Amino acid sequence: MKFGLFYELQLPKPAGEAQWGPDDERRIYHDMLEQVELADSLGFDYVFEVEHHFLEEYSHSSAPEMVMAALSQRTKHMRLGHGIVLTPPGYNHPARVAERISALDILSNGRVEFGSGESASEMELGGFGVERGLKKAMWEECTREIANMMVQTPYQGFQGEFFDMPPRNVIPKPLQNPHPPLWVAASRRETTMLAARFGMGSLGFGFETPDELAERTNEYYRIVRDECFPIGHAINPGLAVLTTFMMGKTDEEALARSANGPAFFSHSLGYYYNPASGGRHQPGEKNIYDDFLAANERDNTMSARTGFIGEDEIRKGEPKDEVQRALYRAARSGTAVGTVERVRETLKTYEDNHLDVMIFVAQCGDRKHEDIMESIELFGRELLPEFKERHEKDHTKWRAEQLAGVDFPVNSSI
Amino acid sequence: MAKPDQIQDAKLRELVADAHGLMRANRPSEAMQGLVAALYRLLEVQPELGTEQLEPRPGWKMHFLSRWPQYGANWKKGSLAAGKPEIEFVRERFALSEAITCYEFLLETAIKRGA
Repeated sequence: MKFGLFYELQLPKPAGEAQWGPDDERRIYHDMLEQVELADSLGFDYVFEVEHHFLEEYSHSSAPEMVMAALSQRTKHMRLGHGIVLTPPGYNHPARVAERISALDILSNGRVEFGSGESASEMELGGFGVERGLKKAMWEECTREIANMMVQTPYQGFQGEFFDMPPRNVIPKPLQNPHPPLWVAASRRETTMLAARFGMGSLGFGFETPDELAERTNEYYRIVRDECFPIGHAINPGLAVLTTFMMGKTDEEALARSANGPAFFSHSLGYYYNPASGGRHQPGEKNIYDDFLAANERDNTMSARTGFIGEDEIRKGEPKDEVQRALYRAARSGTAVGTVERVRETLKTYEDNHLDVMIFVAQCGDRKHEDIMESIELFGRELLPEFKERHEKDHTKWRAEQLAGVDFPVNSSI
Repeated sequence: MAKPDQIQDAKLRELVADAHGLMRANRPSEAMQGLVAALYRLLEVQPELGTEQLEPRPGWKMHFLSRWPQYGANWKKGSLAAGKPEIEFVRERFALSEAITCYEFLLETAIKRGA
């Protein structure tokens, strides 16, 4: 199992304030650069950053290509992941995406991971005039053509349902051949299986449990073997899963550091993705963090846990709907929160179920930069080496067995 | 391993397998027509699905069937609330990714519920 960090660049407004402080956005951007630089020096494998627009407090990461360019000059080894680029043409023209991905691949000496997706929030869809009912078809058409643009010399041109383009040579070309590994954002099981059919890595944003992962892994790799029709020119078989992360010398310290981070992550995500609230968002005026604190006060359902609770207890209260379940799980300090021993034990259950990549949500809510730095350091020094060793020894062998007989070209960093 | 041959009902199995074949042949629009026919068959076999509700959060109810991906073969307005689910095609052309997503939802639902 490999490891990465995940960034939304969350920035809750100060409680009771209408706006952020003048230095707040500069601070979270520079904190992130410092965190990733440290992770790179310790041997973390990936950083993934989202692209979101207008989702105040939840995500201030609207120009990830700029951040990735900065990271390409500050890191040496880590893979730089777009998790994800919004590829419907209303957000980004496909040729511009191909150009940026390729330029970043050159700047980083071939370290780009190209994740794609559509988003589902009304703020973004409405803001760019992207029709909700067509967004998946747009994603497919544009993602396929972006891959073609990175490979064809010259790009032969396209007349599609959602964009047209005459023949042009889209330059530069990426360093990786034929193009960087392709991923797709998957918050539901259906999309993970779609990823398998298209030969893409699945960036699982559903906070899946080890049990769910076991079933999905088997089915995912079966589809890659038996029913894959690649969207790109090389496949990237792989499953990545997101989880909350914070470590401490004691469980109590880790929980205190974890603070309201996971709960705010879940609350603000749910706020924007629920049309009833996100669709009525008042840009520039609303303080979502105040709402969050009020919700905590009212029903305590989203509050940070004061102690660890068992898997069984968590399962009892879980919603059946997959997206709501992801929000529920995201709000709870769990998988990678605790001491070295606790985090090792819980991560091993994912390793035992053959997860390819575990991605940590460290920066969220009002967590402190210094706590995130210490957690990255602790994980990097105390746990990463043993997982790396087992990855090389066991997982690569298991993965080779899964892909035996697959005759598509593979470009994967796993 | 979720495969059409795990579906119990012969007619449903055949409809899902046909849709699967159309997807494999890169004919997603036809596959979507087949998937909707399969969805109706699933509702015949398990009519309780038509009224089943989820409770994502306390006090907030939603129809299970609202999870069907609505990319253009959508539930007719009011039909779920009335307990008479009816699909309305708002367009004829579908992308492969749309057909695949609907197929995965249908297959998983049918197998999990022993249809």
